[in-house]
Amino acid sequence: MTTIAPNRVRSSAGRLWREYGWAYLFILAPVLLFLVFTLYPVVSALIMSFQQYNIMNSTWIGFDNYERLFQDATFWKSMRNTVIFTVCTVPVNIIITFVLSYLIYQMKTKWQTFFKATLYLPAVASGVTISIVWLAIFDPTNVGLLNRFLEWFGLDPVIWLGQSKTALFSLILMNWLGSHGAGIILYLASMGGVPKSLYEAADIDHASGWTKFTRITWPLLKPTTLYLLVTGVITSFQVFISVYMMTQGGPNFATTTIAYLIYQTAFQFYEFGLASAQSFVLAFLIILVSVIQFKYFSSDVEY
Amino acid sequence: MARVEFRNVRKQFDDQNKQTFTAVAGSDFVINDKEFVVFVGPSGCGKTTSLRMIAGLEQQTSGDIVIGERIVNNLHPKDRDIAMVFQDYALYPHMTIRENLSFGLKNLKKPKAYIEQKVQEAASILGLDDMLERKPRELSGGQRQRVALGRAIVRDPQVFLFDEPLSNLDAKLRIQMRVELGELHKRLGATIVYVTHDQVEAMTLGERIVVMNKGVIQQVASPTELYANPRNMFVAGFIGSPAMNFIDARVEEERIRIDGAEFVLSQDAAEGLKSYNGREIILGIRPEHIYGEDFAPGVSTEHQMQAHIKVVEHLGSENLVYFRIGSRTVTAKVHPETKAYSNLSKQFIFDLNKARYFDPATEERIDW
Ligand SMILES: Nc1ncnc2c1ncn2[C@@H]1O[C@H](COP(=O)(O)OP(=O)(O)O)[C@@H](O)[C@H]1O
Ligand SMILES: [Mg+2]
Repeated sequence: MTTIAPNRVRSSAGRLWREYGWAYLFILAPVLLFLVFTLYPVVSALIMSFQQYNIMNSTWIGFDNYERLFQDATFWKSMRNTVIFTVCTVPVNIIITFVLSYLIYQMKTKWQTFFKATLYLPAVASGVTISIVWLAIFDPTNVGLLNRFLEWFGLDPVIWLGQSKTALFSLILMNWLGSHGAGIILYLASMGGVPKSLYEAADIDHASGWTKFTRITWPLLKPTTLYLLVTGVITSFQVFISVYMMTQGGPNFATTTIAYLIYQTAFQFYEFGLASAQSFVLAFLIILVSVIQFKYFSSDVEY
Repeated sequence: MARVEFRNVRKQFDDQNKQTFTAVAGSDFVINDKEFVVFVGPSGCGKTTSLRMIAGLEQQTSGDIVIGERIVNNLHPKDRDIAMVFQDYALYPHMTIRENLSFGLKNLKKPKAYIEQKVQEAASILGLDDMLERKPRELSGGQRQRVALGRAIVRDPQVFLFDEPLSNLDAKLRIQMRVELGELHKRLGATIVYVTHDQVEAMTLGERIVVMNKGVIQQVASPTELYANPRNMFVAGFIGSPAMNFIDARVEEERIRIDGAEFVLSQDAAEGLKSYNGREIILGIRPEHIYGEDFAPGVSTEHQMQAHIKVVEHLGSENLVYFRIGSRTVTAKVHPETKAYSNLSKQFIFDLNKARYFDPATEERIDW
C-alpha cells in the first residue's frame, strides 16, 4: 500500500498536467499580463508614495507626501472641481440616457436600430477627436458654433473655456451632450426584459401612464441605473482627456481635476512620489464612494 | 348584469411579411351573468386572443363586444370592469404580496381602511395571510398563482378572465386548484371566462364550454351535451380521453358495413341515414361503448364483431384494448375483468345506440 501511494500521486499529477496543462498555459498569459502591467505598477506606486522618488536613489520619507498633499490648496481645489464635475454630470447623464432610451424603446424596430447605432457612434470615436470638435464649438470668437448660436438671440460671445466662471461648466456641458450610447444599449436591454404582461396587468389595475412609469418601469430598471451610477462616478472621478485637450486645467486651476493634477505632478513637475500619493487618495475615494452607493441604493433593488 | 357577448368578432394580425392571419374568425356567443364558461381548443386556436379582446388588451378587427349592457369596443381595459389572471401570473416582482394585491385599489384611490380590509379578505380566502410581506420570488408556483387570483378578487370586477392559470402547476396542485377554483366561483358569484387547452379542465370547471379550432368556434354547449352530442368530428375527437374512435363505414339499406362485419341499424338510425344509402360515412364511438363479449352486463349483444387485439393496457380501474378495424386502430375501454390478450382475436360488442355518425366530406355530425 505505502509503496503504491507515491506512484499514484505522481501519476495523478502527471494526468492533471496532461489533461489541464493547456488550460493552465492559457490562464498563464492573462495572469502574467496582470502581474506585469497592473499589480507591479500598483505596488511600486504604493511604495513610491512613501518615497522621495528619484530614478537613481529614492529615499523613504514615510507619510510626508500624504501630509504635503493634504496641505496643498491646489489638491483641494482639484478635489472640489472633480466633485462638482461628478455631481453635475452623472445624474444628468443618467436622466438623459434614460429619457432617450424610453423614447427609443417606444419606436418601431427599424428606428430603434437606427437610433441605437447613431447614438452609439460617439463611443467609437476617440476622446481626443471629440475634444477637437468641441474646441471648435467653444471657440471664443463668434466663429464658434455656440457663440454664433448666442448671436442669433442678440447675446454677446462668451469666452467659454478661457475664463474661470464658465470653463468648468463648459466641460460639464460637453459631457452632457457626449456619449450616451453604451447606457442606452443597457437600458434598452433591460427595458426589453420587463415582461409586457406586467404593463397589461397594470392597465387592468387602473394604473396611469405615470404610475406605470414610477411603480413598474423605474423600479425594475434600478439595477441598470445603479450600474450606470457606479461606473459613471468612477469614470467621472478620473476625468482627464477633455481637461488635457481643452483647458489644461486652467484658467487659474478652474478645471484642474484630480486626474489632471496627478498627471501634472508626475509628468510636468516629476514629483512621482507625490503623484503616487495623490493616486492612492483618489483610488481610496473611488472605492469609498462606490461602496456607499452600493450600500445605499442596492437595498431595495430587485435583481 | 355582467353578461359578455361577442357579435361577429374577428381578429386579424399582420405578420412580418405583411400577410394577414385570422386568429379569430367571426365569433358569436353570449356568456350569461354568473356563468363559468371555458374556452378550450388546441394551442394557437385563438383562445387567448378572444380573452384579450374581452379585456381590451387587443382591439378586434371588426364586430362588437358587449360587457354588461355596454358595447365596450373602444373602452380602455381599466374601464371595462374586468380582472384578468395571466398565464405567467404577471405579478409585480419588486412589490410585496400586499402591494401586489392592493395596487389596483390604490390606483382607484380607495380609502386605506377599505383596501386593508379587501386585502385581508382575499388573503384569508386564498390562505395567503402569512405571506403578505413577502416578494413573489419567495413564493412557490401554487402560492404565486393564488396571489394572481387574489389580485383579481380584491377588485370585485364584473367579469373574471383567466388565461390558462393552472398550466404552470404540477399535476397534483392543478387538481387541487381546480377544485378550489370551482368553489371560488360559487362563493364569488361572478362571471368567469376561463381559457385552457386541457379538455379535462374544461369539462370539470365549465358550466358551458366554447370549443375552438383554428379561430373558429366549433360548438358552444354544456359538458354533458358536448360529450354526448358533439357537432362535428373535431369536437368529438377533442373532448374525451381516450378520444372517440372514428371507423370507416358504409350504409347499405338498413345496415352499415364495417370491414366485413354488418350491423343492422335501429329504425331511427336507418331513417336518419337514408340519404347516405350506398355511401361512405364515419361511425364515431367512444371507447367505453365497446365491450368485450365476456363482460358486457346490460348491453344488447346485437352488434358484435371479431377483431385482432394489438395491445392491452392495464390501468387498474379499467383496461384499454387496442385493436384494428381496416386501417384504423380502435380503442376500447373495458372492465378490468374482461379477458383480453394481445395478439389474440376477440369478439367485441358495439353499443350502437351511443354511436354517432359523421359525413366524411364535411366532418359534421349527421343529425336526425
Ligand atoms: N400579436 C400577435 N401578432 C401576430 N400573431 C399573433 C399575435 N397574437 C397571437 N397571434 C397568433 O394568433 C393565433 C392565436 O393565438 P392565441 O390566441 O394566443 O392562441 P391560443 O389559443 O393558444 O391562446 C396564433 O396562431 C398566434 O400565432
Ligand atoms: Mg394562449
